[in-house]
Amino acid sequence: MKPLLLLVIACLFFPKNQGLAQAETGNNYRNFPIVFSLQFHSLAMPFKDLKSNFKNVGFGIGTEVSHNGLHNWVQQFDLIWIKNKGIGNGILLSTQTSYRPMMVGNIFAEVKAGVGYLKSFKPSQSYQQIDGKWNEAKKNGKGMLAFPIGLGLGQHNHSESSYISPFFGYQMILVTNYNQDIPIVPQTLFQIAGRIHPNYSNVIQD
Amino acid sequence: MYIKKILFALLLLIPAQLFSQGMQTCNCPDTKLQFSTNKVTVLKAALDKLTGQGIPGAVVGVFDESGYWEISSGFAKIENQTKMQLCHLQYLQSISKTYLAVTILQLYEEGKLGLDNKITEYLSSQLSSNIPNASEISVRMLLNHTSGIPEYNSQPTYVTHLLQNPTRIFQPEEYFLYIKNKKPDFEPGTKYGYRNTNYVILALIAEQITGDHKQFMEERIFKVLNLKNTIYRIEQGETYEKRLVNTYWDRFSDGTLENVSVLQNSNVASMIGDDGIITTPEDAITFLKGLMGGKLISNNSLELMQEWVKNLNGKEVYGLGLNISDFKGHKGIGHSGGGLGAGVQLYYFPQKKIYTFLAINLGTVTNSPIHQNAELTLEKIYNIILQ
Repeated sequence: MKPLLLLVIACLFFPKNQGLAQAETGNNYRNFPIVFSLQFHSLAMPFKDLKSNFKNVGFGIGTEVSHNGLHNWVQQFDLIWIKNKGIGNGILLSTQTSYRPMMVGNIFAEVKAGVGYLKSFKPSQSYQQIDGKWNEAKKNGKGMLAFPIGLGLGQHNHSESSYISPFFGYQMILVTNYNQDIPIVPQTLFQIAGRIHPNYSNVIQD
Repeated sequence: MYIKKILFALLLLIPAQLFSQGMQTCNCPDTKLQFSTNKVTVLKAALDKLTGQGIPGAVVGVFDESGYWEISSGFAKIENQTKMQLCHLQYLQSISKTYLAVTILQLYEEGKLGLDNKITEYLSSQLSSNIPNASEISVRMLLNHTSGIPEYNSQPTYVTHLLQNPTRIFQPEEYFLYIKNKKPDFEPGTKYGYRNTNYVILALIAEQITGDHKQFMEERIFKVLNLKNTIYRIEQGETYEKRLVNTYWDRFSDGTLENVSVLQNSNVASMIGDDGIITTPEDAITFLKGLMGGKLISNNSLELMQEWVKNLNGKEVYGLGLNISDFKGHKGIGHSGGGLGAGVQLYYFPQKKIYTFLAINLGTVTNSPIHQNAELTLEKIYNIILQ
């Protein structure tokens, strides 16, 4: 994992021919893509217990909108279904600000951070005592404020018609108020995704 | 005609037996009393109150001037409404440390180990290299938690790995990877700091000396005291699993309980020295009585176990595998334990000459509103026992 981390960091801090690359992005970007992703979740410290991530496959859908004319700052919106047999499933709704400079050719690096709301469910049936009798508890789960931070690498494949830009990322999510004794719980996500950029003008014209 | 009646009665009995074996994991009463007193009635009511406050099941064993008696309340298994019974096996959690301390002192009495010898004499250099200040730490410092070795089971990497992988069995040596390259918490022998890591190391020392410290413990403690319901280093798939209580945890501190029996079982099956024993209330009290009665170690060794070290507040807290606590003015000597799915206490009150064992199948390592409600009831239970 360390080589990947170093590569992403290197790409972020030393983008090749940044101005030209960004200019190309600016010309070739399209807002509101549809982002489909596979999300591999784990309760783990960052870059630890990586095997566990790949036992838990969930999925996500999202979109994004550019903050500037160069389109190297974007705001992302994601809804992720977290599948995790060990600690319980969850739904994460989040928005993150992403810095995404273009690198070599059409490769981009990404660093992002934001805020979200995680609804976490228990991994098994739970029980509650009411008036001295045990009842199966409703599966409402618990809602918690979450702070995702992430790194990524991807390919920007612009085309005049609809096109897909694949990328992958690694996210750490700091989940707050897990219980009375653990104020912050670290969770991680490996993301393999495709950013589908439909040509909306064509859609409208059609 | 008479024979037919007997045969008929036998036929009725057979399915009843089969039924009881199939449906109940444990077939014994929920109360064992040689007598009936007001104390027992009041205690039963208090225990029922405890399980009426959201704790699934509870069991209390007492040895006092009237002999041994025990009562239980609530459920061992909420799912199928299995009542908590006296023969249900309870997780001893950290009370296991007292058993291991006795094992170490037995080795000391045999001259196989020196309490003030450095632990590097008994550990491989590979293992020692993962323990900060290993060459300065004595066996005694491990026993009374003055070694300064960091805690493995509060390391975030360990805790997250454990929770994320509820069926995973850890190997003893793995625990040291979580403290590798960590700074010591303090210089050896300068302070008291309760750390589970100390007893994992002690177990490995005992293993190094005996070749099989589980077998040694079984022969030198369990057989000597006839503890037929006590098991150390539990293994999954064994027949005794059916007698184990289910365990519950309030993961989100919201008063709803999740069955964490799989996680609890894997966790306890992994642990060595600092945990790992399951038993019945009667066996637990028999152990502490046997220890205090000199059946396991000499009086000299027992005195060593009660050489208390003080905490930062100057209060005597821990000896060699024994803890000293104040229960509303009553001095209790023994140990307590807590895990993801259990809470347990085993104490001897010398002023009253009373032994007590109390276990619940609700996790106590993280807080729950249920605990807050139950604390007062727990105090009341001890007041009743010690009055």
